[in-house]
Amino acid sequence: MKVGYLGRRLASAAVTIVLIAIINFILFRAMPGSPERVLLHGTPNVTPQILQQTRERWGLDKPVFPDQFVAYVGSTIRGDLGFSFLARGQTVSEVLAQRIWPTVILFGLGEMLAIVLGLALGAYSGWRRGGAVDYVGNGISLILYSTPYFLLGMAFLLLFATTLHWFPTFGMLQAGAQYPGLWERFLDFLGHLVLPLATVAFGLVGQYAIVMRSSIVETLSEDYVTTARAMGLRDGRVLRRHALPNALLPTVSLVAINLGYVVAGAITVEVVFNWPGLGTLAVEALTARDYPVLQGVFLLLGVSVVIANLIADLVYGALDPRVRT
Amino acid sequence: MTAASIQGMAPRGTRWIGRGALIRRLLRRPEGLIGLSILVVFVFLAAIPNLIVGPLQTAVTATGGRLTPPSAVHLFGTDELGRDVLNQTVHGARISLAIGLLATLVTVAIGAVVGIVAGFIGGWLDAILMRITDFFLVLPTFVLALILTPIIRELVGSATTEVFGIRMTLIVIVIVIGITSWSSTARIIRSQTLSLRERAFVDRARSIGAGSGHIMRRHILPNVINLIVANAVLTFAGAVLTETTLSFVGLGDPFQPSWGQLLEAARASGAPGLGAWWYFVPPGVCIVLVVLAFTLVGSALDDLLNPKRQGRR
Repeated sequence: MKVGYLGRRLASAAVTIVLIAIINFILFRAMPGSPERVLLHGTPNVTPQILQQTRERWGLDKPVFPDQFVAYVGSTIRGDLGFSFLARGQTVSEVLAQRIWPTVILFGLGEMLAIVLGLALGAYSGWRRGGAVDYVGNGISLILYSTPYFLLGMAFLLLFATTLHWFPTFGMLQAGAQYPGLWERFLDFLGHLVLPLATVAFGLVGQYAIVMRSSIVETLSEDYVTTARAMGLRDGRVLRRHALPNALLPTVSLVAINLGYVVAGAITVEVVFNWPGLGTLAVEALTARDYPVLQGVFLLLGVSVVIANLIADLVYGALDPRVRT
Repeated sequence: MTAASIQGMAPRGTRWIGRGALIRRLLRRPEGLIGLSILVVFVFLAAIPNLIVGPLQTAVTATGGRLTPPSAVHLFGTDELGRDVLNQTVHGARISLAIGLLATLVTVAIGAVVGIVAGFIGGWLDAILMRITDFFLVLPTFVLALILTPIIRELVGSATTEVFGIRMTLIVIVIVIGITSWSSTARIIRSQTLSLRERAFVDRARSIGAGSGHIMRRHILPNVINLIVANAVLTFAGAVLTETTLSFVGLGDPFQPSWGQLLEAARASGAPGLGAWWYFVPPGVCIVLVVLAFTLVGSALDDLLNPKRQGRR
């Protein structure tokens, strides 16, 4: 029942996104002070006309439900999230758009590195359970898993930037630098990327290795692995062709579910290295109590995580026919 | 079918194995022994910080120079205001553990109630509660916590009120952690409740006229309490990490510095860039040790108490 599975996943993702929108709507109304005050915060020379315009635009002179809610949902779908308090005159969407790419690059690459390294380490230690790599790897994984990302980042910063001077300490590009060409600009960017990227990757590697290890251990006790061994297949072939593909399945959904938690780490790593992404934006907005931007970040990250989960579910469904029932 | 389950008693393994026996079995596992030893040390520090390092130093009562490296007088050096880092770290143990404990209680209480009610009552209530639970599982709850904390603080108002000697700002953190992290507990408790609901002792209670509320309190709850305890220990690790992270982005309370708050102060004063490792290494190591200890004890307890994991290593 492929269509049924797809339909259920899509419906569940849609419900989750609607719930995120509802939470945003409620939070906005729960704030102290009238909504128009919150909306016009920081706008110079508020005249009664501007006040009236704002009220009409957001439907604040109409009942909260359904009129205001419908207006809110409508404007959110159009990508209109209001104005930032902090960056005067800029819409929340504009502010978010400036900050999204650094985060996508840092965390896209970091996730990929961590997944490859973590799964390889986990698979190897699970396969050679009780061996030296297993003990050392498991210990390191547990310690990395217990370490807040930003702490790792601060340690890297102290070691590789302050003491050894291998890498710059903060930002994405050297402030005020003039580049002779695109290539130099790119190299400078890479130099700035190394430490935050290493922090993200090492922060994540522990949990992926732990999950993969237990998944492999579980798979190895399955009958089909025993059968494969009984057929006289060589160890490497049993691992690659029989154990690994099946053990990878649960990690797909765990990686997706973890994304929600990864976001917390993302924010703090960016703060440590002053990486100009959504995380530093969220903290700047938090410090300035710039609620529209905070809600924009929440909406954007929430919807991204839901979509990533949806994709993971579909991949899972394509890989494992058993879940499609 | 065993004699016990025919008689309608709780299944083996979910029964409370005496507390002494449990601790002995926990100590026999290396991860349980290491974890518990670390925790005992930190609980000791948190219980009597004043006797070990004297009262919490403030900018006024600071005894050292600005960001001085470790010396005989200041074993862990001083921070940017001349406060002794050892003093701050030991007092941080009390604050971090207290917030962690309270947040764990709130989280587990919400999770257990939602899980038991959803699993026992079933039907549309179960469907709605589990929909909400799934929502919180997927959501980047940390970002929600970032928005909720300042809003709840503004709604609560005065920051000077204290509950159990903890300032209101930190109580808000406790509440926010509770609201945003109960979902996995609820899922685990619900699945256990679902299987308990079908057992004979529930039918018996029902047939002698017990109401749903009574059965949930007196028959289901005692049978999931083991699971709740194991889960609470793991939740504690998460709660300490969440508190640390929230403090690190500036939501802590400088007047009651937790380890996360110390790390935030270290970052804000540029300690990593100035090479002042002594400022952030002590609180950092403490956080890693405590989270590690709770994770070790929690997974050992989970192996011992969770009926689904029995006999699996």
